[in-house]
Amino acid sequence: MNLFIDSALLILLGGCIPFFCAFHVRLTKIIAILLMGCGCILGFIQSVRVLIHSQSSLETILCLNTFIFQFQFDTLSAFFTTAIYAISLLSLIYSFHYIHEQKKGLQIAIHYVFASLLIVSMLVVVTAADMITFMIAWELMSISSFLLILLDDHSPEALKAGYWYIIFTQAGTLCIFALFGCMYGFTGTLAFTNISGLHVEYKFVLFSLACVGFGTKAGIFPFHVWLPYAHPAAPSHISALMSGVMIKTGIYGILRIYSLLATHSLIFGYILLVAGIFSSLFGVLYALGQHDLKRLLAYHSVENIGIILMGLGLGVIGASTQNMRLAVLGFSGGLLHVWNHAIFKSLLFMNAGMVLHKTGIRSIEQLGGLMKSMRITGITFLIGALSISGLPPFNGFISELLIYLGGFQAIDKQVNAFILPILGILTLSIIGGLALSCFTKVVGIVFLGEPRTQINRNIHGEIGWTMLFSVVVLALLCFGIGIMPTPFIQLTFSPIKCMHVFGDDQILASLIDLGQTMTLVFCIVGCMFLFLLGIRYYLYAGKTIAHTSTWGCGFTKPTPKMQYTGASFASSILQFFHPIAPIHSPQQSVSGIFPTHSHLHQELIDLAEKWILLGFVHPILRVLDKQRWIQHGNIHFYVGYILVTIVVLLFFI
Amino acid sequence: MQSFIILLIFWIISPFFMGVILKVKAFFAGKQGPPVLIHYYTLMKLFQKASVYSLTTTFVFRLSPLMILLTSLSAMLFLPIAGYPAVFSFEGDMILICYLFGLGRFFTIIAALDTGSPFEGMGAAREAYFSVLSEASLFMIFIYFYRLHGSISLNSYLSSYHTIELWKYGQSTLLFIIASLYIVLLIENTRVPVDDPATHLELTMIHEVMILDHSGPDLAFIELGACTKLLFFTCILSRLLFPYNLNYAGLNVICFGSMLILIYVVIGITESIMARFKMTKTPKFILTSFALAFFATFLNWG
Repeated sequence: MNLFIDSALLILLGGCIPFFCAFHVRLTKIIAILLMGCGCILGFIQSVRVLIHSQSSLETILCLNTFIFQFQFDTLSAFFTTAIYAISLLSLIYSFHYIHEQKKGLQIAIHYVFASLLIVSMLVVVTAADMITFMIAWELMSISSFLLILLDDHSPEALKAGYWYIIFTQAGTLCIFALFGCMYGFTGTLAFTNISGLHVEYKFVLFSLACVGFGTKAGIFPFHVWLPYAHPAAPSHISALMSGVMIKTGIYGILRIYSLLATHSLIFGYILLVAGIFSSLFGVLYALGQHDLKRLLAYHSVENIGIILMGLGLGVIGASTQNMRLAVLGFSGGLLHVWNHAIFKSLLFMNAGMVLHKTGIRSIEQLGGLMKSMRITGITFLIGALSISGLPPFNGFISELLIYLGGFQAIDKQVNAFILPILGILTLSIIGGLALSCFTKVVGIVFLGEPRTQINRNIHGEIGWTMLFSVVVLALLCFGIGIMPTPFIQLTFSPIKCMHVFGDDQILASLIDLGQTMTLVFCIVGCMFLFLLGIRYYLYAGKTIAHTSTWGCGFTKPTPKMQYTGASFASSILQFFHPIAPIHSPQQSVSGIFPTHSHLHQELIDLAEKWILLGFVHPILRVLDKQRWIQHGNIHFYVGYILVTIVVLLFFI
Repeated sequence: MQSFIILLIFWIISPFFMGVILKVKAFFAGKQGPPVLIHYYTLMKLFQKASVYSLTTTFVFRLSPLMILLTSLSAMLFLPIAGYPAVFSFEGDMILICYLFGLGRFFTIIAALDTGSPFEGMGAAREAYFSVLSEASLFMIFIYFYRLHGSISLNSYLSSYHTIELWKYGQSTLLFIIASLYIVLLIENTRVPVDDPATHLELTMIHEVMILDHSGPDLAFIELGACTKLLFFTCILSRLLFPYNLNYAGLNVICFGSMLILIYVVIGITESIMARFKMTKTPKFILTSFALAFFATFLNWG
């Protein structure tokens, strides 16, 4: 158990030492990655051990005899630390070739300081056992990721991204403070203790606060607005970390509060399920309308958080209706999706980073044909795309299957609450189709076809092996979990117990059985694939294959510009959903007999952003604008204000 | 083993059923039409040919015909034919089947985009669009089934005496489901009135335009995949329409087969008497099937 603290210290050390050898860029990177990597491996092994043996332990650190930091390593924490260690390790390895060597050593060293801070603070967040430790780590996590966003890029967009992020995350933190304040008021202790004795109405308030506060970090609709700004602005391995694991700390927070409340109330399940339905549907729809590769992926995080919440919501419904099979299916599916999403989302972000690294282009409309020049990147991206669309035999399918089964279980005749689970199943099927459209669009436009611009026509060869190593490992994990889900499903069983859900052996055995069936099915399908491949090889044996240009339906002078674009690919679907995903496209009238320049600008409007601006920010600004006369810049008057305030306050003593 | 042999037999004669559709259409047009075995001749011809590949394409383009055939074939493994239990079955296989078709669709779409042809991109966009909606109606039908019987495995609906029970529980609402399934069949297999496989204008096609660049054995794989997928949906319908288990195994299969041919004839008639819908009307058509399944579910709630 102490290995956790050792690993965290090692990671911190790995962040700080390079600071002193910043004169040598490569040395900086090697030392940082080696030390932090060792820490991650150490912690990873320990987390897996805790998960398998389902131990739990408490550790207290006394700092300067005044501050007490308490850590608790139970299986729920270990479940999240496993993902944090694994993804951190791979993104650190990835960073070796991703960070340009032309940059100043000091900047790189600072980057590693913040990266290590981010990793350690995430670890502390998911293992903290008292409110003070939790809040310090939570704030540290927000600030270090905020600085990582701004470190690389000083463009107005990055600044805007940083502002959105810090405002949202602080607003969310306020809710968490309120939540912890209420909890402290009830228990009188700072430690996370069971508060099951609370009245149900209070519990509802506390849970809602947790959903808003942690949901802001997790990116639940409509609090996701910061996410599509912040993730694209960060360097790609940091985006992978943020999107893959940092937003999961929000999910952890909700789960932890749920387990502390220790109450199985149907309404909690409904809250989570509804939040999940909205997040997933809006997330994938808005993703479909994006042209920036990383922004698109960021919106997909919103979608996947929605899927996770749907699973957890079904689990809570199951727990509250004493339907243990439903509870196990829901929680198991949701938790497994936490891992799966961490894996394929970081894979996709890393791939996007490789495309960005090589071409310098983020807009998918200017890319194309990269499969030929960056084969491994293309194939791993394809695997990531298949996984995130929830297609077999990849990992996304397994967790979605569990959630589907949970959904069906919830509409069983014994359960009265049926309409929401039905909506959940339908939403899952619709977002499955939408995610498929979105990722066929990305794969098809970015990696297939002909290069659309001169820049990416001149690309040759793959990039640094460390980047390839990370993505290949992640792609293999996607495939591995997909075809051999049994051990991974089993690992989710012990964290479920933290949620006070005790499925009997029969239910757990049926889930394990399901995993083994999937393995068998995929083996059979795999054999069929090989058989068909053999037939195809036989049919083509000895035949001459001709190569020509694409059939242009009679048109003989096609150019790469004539290819279908991502915007046109998505337009008909977005047209269908236009009430909830409106597209803003200012009309430019063409005038004159010989119209000259004209351009079309299309932008998808995020309704959450629009309404937060219109309904919240603008009214506040309007009121505050009127008070501007208070702030006139005259320092003497400011001193006067303080004086007046103190005098007024004295009346109250 | 028995199920496997029957599956194999029906799979092998599935191109013949496609020929039936052409014959019916020819009858309505007052023509003699191609021979019923036309699809076998086409497949043989295609298998003997070599392929022409566009220089733009990558391995994805070569992989996709295989995936299309593979996914529809593996979906057939979970399908009980003529009341015999499926070759393979587990709780939740209906979801897997849906996603297997999704996998096939994924590869069809990216293969179309791989060619860089604007026409194929157009078809791909439509395929992606309509499948989003048809998947929702398919899952609504699953929900209906689940409410009747409490299982998500095709085996517990279409094998042995289960279908009779389904009629007993579902009664007339099952007719809604049959209509809804028929619409889903037309969409998933891109038949008239959603898409016209025989049209001559690439701009108006959905599925056919996506496979414009495929040739030789690759095209044959795609055609076979399409036959199999249509067979899959018609088999479900056929079993629902003929739920009885006769004492003689042979008679059972023959009745099932004739019901199957009847459905193909109905598809042929639909294609003959209807024109393709405008693209804007298709989503409404798809949502009709959703509405049917939705109301059937709630009429049967109790």
